[in-house]
This record gives sequence, structure tokens and C-alpha cells, in this order.
Amino acid sequence: MTESKTPTSANAVPKSMKKKQPNQILNFFGSMNLAVTLLMMLSIASVIGTVLKQDESTQNYMIQFGPFWAEVFNSLGLFHVYGAAWFILVLLFLLLSTSICVTRNTPSFLKDMKQYSEKLSRAALQHQPNNTTFEGTVSLERQQEHAVALLKHKGYKTKTHIRDDGSVTVAGLKGKWNRLGYFLTHISIIVICIGALLDSNLLLKYRELTGSLEAETRTVGLDEINKNSWLGPENLSFRGSVNVADGGKTDVLFLPYEDGYLAQKLPFTIVNKQFRIKYYDTGMPKSFESDLILTAPDLDEPIVATIAVNHPLHYKNYAIFQSSFADGGTTLKLKVHPLLSPISNPLELDSAINKVEPLKTPMGKFKVEFNDFKMHNIIPATDEEKALTGHKMHNNGPTIIFKVRNDQGKAWEYENYIMPSLQEDRLFFMTGVRESQAEPFRYLFIPADANRKKDRFFKFLTLLNNPIKFMDLFTTQFPRTPDVSEKTYQLQTKLIQQLLALFRSKGFNGITEFVKSNVPEADRKQVSDYYFGQTSFALQTLYLEVLKEEGVIKTHSDEISEFDKTWFEDALNTVAGLSAYGPPMYFEVASFKQIQATGLQITKSPGKNVVFFGSAMLITGVFFLFYVRQRRVWIHIKPNAHTDLESDSTTSSSEITIAAKDNRDLPETTTEFNGLVNRVKKFNNNNNHA
Amino acid sequence: MQTETYLEEFKNEGKKPFTLRDVAWIAFVILGSFYAWTQYGGLMDQYEIGILGGTTVGLILLGRLWPSLQTLTVSVSLMVMLALWTYNSHGNVITANEEAFFLKFLLSSQSAIMWMSALFVMATATYFLALYNKSDFTYKTANFMVWAAATFGLVGMMVRWRESYIINFNYGHIPVSSLYEVFILFVVLTSLMYLFYEQRYKTRALGGFVMLVISAAVGFLLWYTFGKDAHVIQPLVPALKSYWMKIHVPANFVGYGSFSIAAMVGVAYLLTERALKKNPESSFASRMPALEAMDDLMYKVISLGFAFFTIATVLGAAWAAEAWGGYWSWDPKETWALIVWLNYAAWLHMRMSKGWRGAPMAWWAFIGLLITTFAFLGVNMFLSGLHSYGEL
Repeated sequence: MTESKTPTSANAVPKSMKKKQPNQILNFFGSMNLAVTLLMMLSIASVIGTVLKQDESTQNYMIQFGPFWAEVFNSLGLFHVYGAAWFILVLLFLLLSTSICVTRNTPSFLKDMKQYSEKLSRAALQHQPNNTTFEGTVSLERQQEHAVALLKHKGYKTKTHIRDDGSVTVAGLKGKWNRLGYFLTHISIIVICIGALLDSNLLLKYRELTGSLEAETRTVGLDEINKNSWLGPENLSFRGSVNVADGGKTDVLFLPYEDGYLAQKLPFTIVNKQFRIKYYDTGMPKSFESDLILTAPDLDEPIVATIAVNHPLHYKNYAIFQSSFADGGTTLKLKVHPLLSPISNPLELDSAINKVEPLKTPMGKFKVEFNDFKMHNIIPATDEEKALTGHKMHNNGPTIIFKVRNDQGKAWEYENYIMPSLQEDRLFFMTGVRESQAEPFRYLFIPADANRKKDRFFKFLTLLNNPIKFMDLFTTQFPRTPDVSEKTYQLQTKLIQQLLALFRSKGFNGITEFVKSNVPEADRKQVSDYYFGQTSFALQTLYLEVLKEEGVIKTHSDEISEFDKTWFEDALNTVAGLSAYGPPMYFEVASFKQIQATGLQITKSPGKNVVFFGSAMLITGVFFLFYVRQRRVWIHIKPNAHTDLESDSTTSSSEITIAAKDNRDLPETTTEFNGLVNRVKKFNNNNNHA
Repeated sequence: MQTETYLEEFKNEGKKPFTLRDVAWIAFVILGSFYAWTQYGGLMDQYEIGILGGTTVGLILLGRLWPSLQTLTVSVSLMVMLALWTYNSHGNVITANEEAFFLKFLLSSQSAIMWMSALFVMATATYFLALYNKSDFTYKTANFMVWAAATFGLVGMMVRWRESYIINFNYGHIPVSSLYEVFILFVVLTSLMYLFYEQRYKTRALGGFVMLVISAAVGFLLWYTFGKDAHVIQPLVPALKSYWMKIHVPANFVGYGSFSIAAMVGVAYLLTERALKKNPESSFASRMPALEAMDDLMYKVISLGFAFFTIATVLGAAWAAEAWGGYWSWDPKETWALIVWLNYAAWLHMRMSKGWRGAPMAWWAFIGLLITTFAFLGVNMFLSGLHSYGEL
């Protein structure tokens, strides 16, 4: 950031510099090389920050990089680059380097803006980047007057210097704002950095170092938050967020801090009357709005306002933004179906989103965490549907998202659709399961019965879970015939029972596996065909019984409809998939009442206006730097010795030296210089002939 | 003192006389803006009315600085008026673009953009042909094609603006919101800036090189249209519904466009320099502008781009402060904008303070384009963040 241009000779070395020994350290910090190196370091660090996802959980990093590299990267601060000590240090060095550069250049630049260097010797003029010398034919006085007028006309400010030998120099200077551009751009960087520093969390870091502050990492109620994690209204600047349920209020804000958060007490209270989402006909959200009421002790009347994205509410030096939305504790009435139970005994459960419910089951103790409720699940419509309805999007209706955690802490996450959705012309209740956030959900499709409910499925499943009932059913439907011995009949029913159990726990694959590991290869095909036949037969018997109980058919030999046939196939697929469904429970939402919450972001940013002031300086400065050129011209007129000034005042001979210099080496400079020289020559020629 | 006499003498020379054409131009722009205000003023907020006023003044000044822009503005206005009138006479339904002859083949946004694409690609080939056969006529043809392409591009954008309201009044927005739309903005702005410098520097030899970037962008645009249906007009997400978009995005693309031109001039510089090294009498080099001229052009374009990129980034920060609650969030797009800015800041420092010139600066300008392209496209493709509006 030093301007190491060829100096304008006379003021080549400012006197002040000569006296002092150049300070080595200052020179190093103010050097261009250091500045460019720092700029490059900043760029590279920024690249790292965008490529490595920042501020994620330690666990995610462990999965991504392995424990060793995660640790290395973490100690280098690569997961929080923009807040890392070395990054701040680079910024501070850049600030220092810029400041030194500005301070060092100020005296010489200020001088350069003012001085005309009119006293430069003719020899010095002839060393300027542009210079020429030619014979003049007009009297000194007219020559001088013309030169001043010409330069003034071209926008220069002029200064005339008469020397002892009778020669005259007209010096012109214009575009000194270019130097101002230098000051504005460089000082603006300092201003912007100061603004950013005002809004940074350096003070909090300091408080953390001295031990009076620590981040809260647990998700707990307000009254359980660590005392050292609270911040009062004296906090200079912050940017945090808070969710407020419809009808709820808050005077606390949560600031993300390191691996946890801090709780910020606000000097006002915000009530969320209502949060609204409006949609386009495509199903895309059109607007997010919240009706807010802001009350504060020093306000006579509360402020009532509706905020929306891009339309925040400003109160004193606080700003309240619509930044997101969430569930505000939608209430749920649930039926928990035990999937292994031989009798129908769903558990009724009243809960809400954000609640955790303990569950005691014969399969162990579990905790259910209800995480989220979504009213709409909008996906692109299939081509057929588009043709049929004209809608580009399809709404699969509401879902709940929850986790079931066993007492070892292992969790399964579920996404259950509350309404059935069409898949290949049939209605299914979709339920997704996954064991880690990194995986996508695997879906189980529970076929809806004719009443669009899950009743038939659970009836069928319960029957399948009940071997005793099955035996009763089987023996009444297919009593032993005289040609079969008691022992064979026993063996056969036992086999069918076993096959059913195998199917229930592992699906048809289970039977295939069983055959593979227990039957010699030569017989496998025959045996497995037989087993499959027997299993299907048994399952059909069960299903027909369900249909009979429903009253759809009267006897097991009645014809069954196409719908009921497909339903059976779908149900078998679903049962086969249950083995990978985690803990054997299905959560059915019997009813719900949606409560939304608005996601507010609240900031106090004293540095904002400083930063914008700096930015305005920067823009102005950039334009001065690029579009104003600082130019100097000298027209030196030296009367020739033999000229008799007294006798002839209109024509006389002189030697004219014109020189010009631009603080930037540009082609325009030469063009303009030549234009100027031609004007002076023309003036001389014209007057010569006159 | 005779100085005053001389000054009086000089006073009127060199001043551009204020002609009838200037009066007509100013009247045209003011009347046009006034008409736009009477037609659509009800939909604008105070800031947007301010932007309209600023555009009016800016356009008048730009047209005075560069008279060719006047012709362009008038042609675009007439074509857009014809398109809007045709839509209107077909009952303002979007299907008119399949029925009305002018719309179907020329002026509906999709047709206009296709014409633009074809003309840009043809102009690229023609410029290189002209470089090869040194024919002034070929050069003129190429130049005309670029003008025509820019005209169609602008018409396409203007008509698309109207079409977004015709499809569904709620969808209506200025077409600078999706990756598809900004690509059109990019090619139009880049070509116009190129045309300006072509006139100013009186050299057409760089045309082919600059048009290469534009053709590449057109190639992407076509793939994006036919491969991904990106041309379909979508409604705006709530975060983009702001007057800031009208100034932030165009300012950014003046920057991107300038950096692209600089990079291609850099390429031309490097090729010419290599040709000269091999053979000082090289016939290729003799067709190209002088090395110093290209070096100077690179500097001019980069400083213009840098100035606008600075403005765009500051405007972006101002918008972010209003929409996201903070002027700087280290969002990938923001960060990459900073990287681009730092890169060109370093480039300018090296040239202005250290006096670097020639091949290294040309290489650097070219590498700068790679960085810019990543900031423009790569971030959307590979990194996610607050700015993910145009995804591939």
C-alpha cells in the first residue's frame, strides 16, 4: 500500500525522512508485500471457511473426518474460521499495516496535493515522463498569458514563477482529489474494521477468559440455564434468535456461542399475536409474517406492528427480524400400537411437540421425543396428476417427526404421515425411519383399508402375532382328514406355525435364509417352494378370517375383490419390512391442534452505521482513485538572449519547454500532452504569420 | 491581462454543442419513465420510485456519453411496446405467446432470448472470421449481430418482466432473480460494455475473444433451458421480495461482466505476446491491437468492474442487514464475493503501486475470471447457504 512512483524530483525525498533513520519494523509492517500476503491469507482462510461447513456439531465432524483429523482441524480453529484467534490476528495485522501505510503517506501526499513544483529547473522538467522543447516566436508576456489561459481552460489550477534569469514557468495542477481517493479508500478499511469490531463478540470472549461467562450447552428451561450464561442489557452488541409460539411472549434471546448458547435478557417484551404463512398456488411460501406487540417500561403505549421478511421492526437501537418459523407446541392425541402384541391394545397418549414422554413396554423402557410437526409436505406432482388437476405441486398433508430412544440412548427417528397418500393408485400411510441424521428416511407403506384407515392392518397384524388364535383358526378351518395320521397333522401344523413366526420376524427373506442354511443344495428349490406355498396358505387363511370378521365375506371360500387382493399383497410387504422398523411401536396421530411459533432474530448492532459510513467512504474513494487523475503540466518559457524585448513586443524568439506528469502511467497522458504541445505550437505559428 | 481574453476565446471551443438530438433524447427518456410511472407507479414503493428516477437520470447521462445507447434504447422500447400491445390485444393471457405471430416468432421473452442466443453465437464466429480475413465488412456484420443480440436480450428481459405478471399477478417480479435470468443479464451487460470499449478503443479485433465468454454463457443458458426447464417463470421466495434486488443484482453483473472482458483481453494479450516472441512480424499480432493498448484496456475494465463490484457488495450488505438481520454473515456467497474483491484489490495495488504490467497481469486477470466464475456459479453448485436461490 505504498505508492512507490518515480518522485517529482525536487520533492523526491521529503526532508523529514532524511533526518530520521527509517524504522525497520515500521517499514516491514507498512510494506506492500506484507499487505498483499495478508490479503492472500485472508482469501485462503475465507475459502476454507466456505468449503468446510462451519459451526456444526462435533459429532458430525467426527463422522466426516474421523477422530484424528477432526481433532487436528478443531485445534486449528478450522470449524470456526471466522472467529478463530489467528483469523482475527490476520485482520488486526491488516488493520495495522493499513494504518501505518496511511500515516506514513499522509505528509507527502498532503504536500503533493498542494504544491505546484513551479520552481523545478529546466533540466528537471526535461526528465519528466512527457517533455518537449521547441522554439517560440511570441513575446514572453503573451506566451505566458496564453499558457495560463490554456491550462485554466483545460481545468488546471496554475501558479507562475518568474526566475532570476528572466525565464518564466507556468505550472499547472489538477485532479488532486485522486489523492483524496487514496485516503478515503484506505481509511475506509480501518473504519469498516472498527465497525465490525464493535459488533464482534470480543468482549464476550474476554469475559469468558476471565471466567465470568460460559456457554450453556444443554437444552433446558429458562430457570435451569447456567447463571454464568446470562447476559444483561449492558451487552454492547448481539445477534440472536428466539422462537415465540402464537399467543406467547418473550424477553429473552438466545445467542449462539461456541458449542452452545447464551441467554440475553432484553429490555422489552415481545408478544407474538399470530404468525402467518401465505402460499403461492405452486405451494411455495409467498410470505412469512408475524403480528407483534412490543412493550417496554419506558413506552407509554405498546408498539403494535406486523413484521415480514425484508420488513423488520426497529425499536431504539434494536431491530427485530422475521427469520424463521417453527412449531410452537402443537398438541397431539396419539395411539401407540404395539407391533408385537397378540391382542389389540393401543396405548392412548396425550402430548405435544417439544415434549418428551417416557414409555414402559414389555420390550423395555423408551423415551419419545416429539420434535416437529409439519402442516404441509409439498412435493412436485406426477405428470398424470398434473394433467388431471392442473396443479404442479402435491400436498401429502401433515407429518410428525419424533425420536424413540431406548435406555441405552440409541435413538430411531421417525416421520409419520397423518393422512394416507396415493402411490400407484393405492392409498398408503407412510412412515419413515432412520437411525442417524446422516441417512435418508426409509419408508414403510401401511396400506389403507376401504375406510381409508389402518384398522384392518392392525387387526391382521395382531392375528399374525397370535399363534394360539391361529392354531384355533387353522384346526377349525382345516380339520384333520382321515387319510392323514395324527402325527403328520401335528407336524404339519407345527411347521406352518413356525413358518408364520419366521415370516413375522424376517419376512419371506427369512424363509429363504432358513432354507439356505438348513437344507442341502439339491433339495433347496423343492423345499423352499413347499415352504412358500405353506406360508402363503397360512397368511391367506389369516387374512380371510380378518375379512370375515369385517363382514366383507361370509365364508373363507367366498370370492374376494381386486382391492382386497392388492391390499393383502401390500400388507405382506409392510409386515416383511417391520423387522427393520426399530422398536416395535407405531405412533398414530388420532387428532392434533396446530400451534405455530415465529422465529425472530433480534439484533443490537452499534457498528452497523459505522460500517456503512466506511462503505460510503470506500465507494467514493474508489471512484476518485480510478476516475480522477492527478496531472501536472509545466510550460517553461525562456527568452533567447539576443531578443530585444523593448523594440518588438509581438514577435520575439524564446525557447519553450513543456513537460507533463501523471501520477499514473496511462496512454491518455501522452495524447493529452501532445494535444497541449500542438496548441502552444499553433499559437506561436499563427501569431508568427499574422 | 490578456489571460481573460484568451479564456473567453477558448470558452466555446471543444464543447459538445447541445443538439436537437440531445433534446429529443432527454424528452424521450423522461416521457418514457413518466409513462412507466403512470402505468405501474401504483405497484412501486417509495424506494422503487427512487430507483426509477435514478435510472432516468442515469440513462440520460449514459446516452449523452455514448450516443449508440440512444438508438438501442429506442429500438428496445419500440419492440417491447409492440410485444406488450400484442399481449394486451390478446386479452393479457400468457398463451398469446403461442398464437400471436409477433410474439411467437420474435418478441415473446422465450423467442427473443432464443434470437439473442443465436445471434451471440453467430457473432462469435463472425468476429473470428473477420480477424482471419481482415474484412471490414465482416467486422461490421459481427458488430451489428452483437447489437442485435443485445437488443433481443433486453427485449426478452423486459417482456419476461411483464409476462411474470401475466402468468399470475402474484408471481410478478423483475427478471434478475434466478440463475437463468441473471445469465441473460450477464450476457447483455457484458456485450454492451464490450461494444462501448470497441467504439472507444477503435478496435474490433478483441470481439471474438470477448464473445467466447458470452457464447459459453449462452451455451449454459441453452442447456439450462432445455435440460432443466429453468426458463419457466417461478414466483419469488419471500427473502427476494425487495427493492434491493433491483440495484444489487445489476451492479454485481457490471462487475462480473467487466472481469470477464478483462480476462478475455488478457487471453488476447498473452496470445499476441507469444506470437510476437516467435515472430516479431507475426501476421496474427499485426491484426491485434498494440500490447500496451490491451494492457491499458485490462486496467480500465478491471477498475470499472472493481468500482461496481464494491458498490454491489455494499448494497448486498445493506440488503442483508434488512433481510437477514446482519450485514455480514460469512455466508459462502458473501465470502466468495469478498475473495473476488480482495483478488482484484491486490491486482490493482500491484499495477498502481508496484507498476506491474504485461503478461503476469494478463494471467492474473484470467485467473481472476476463474475465481469470479466460482463465486458466481460454483458457490450455487457446491456450497449451500443463505444465498442458494439459483440451484442447478
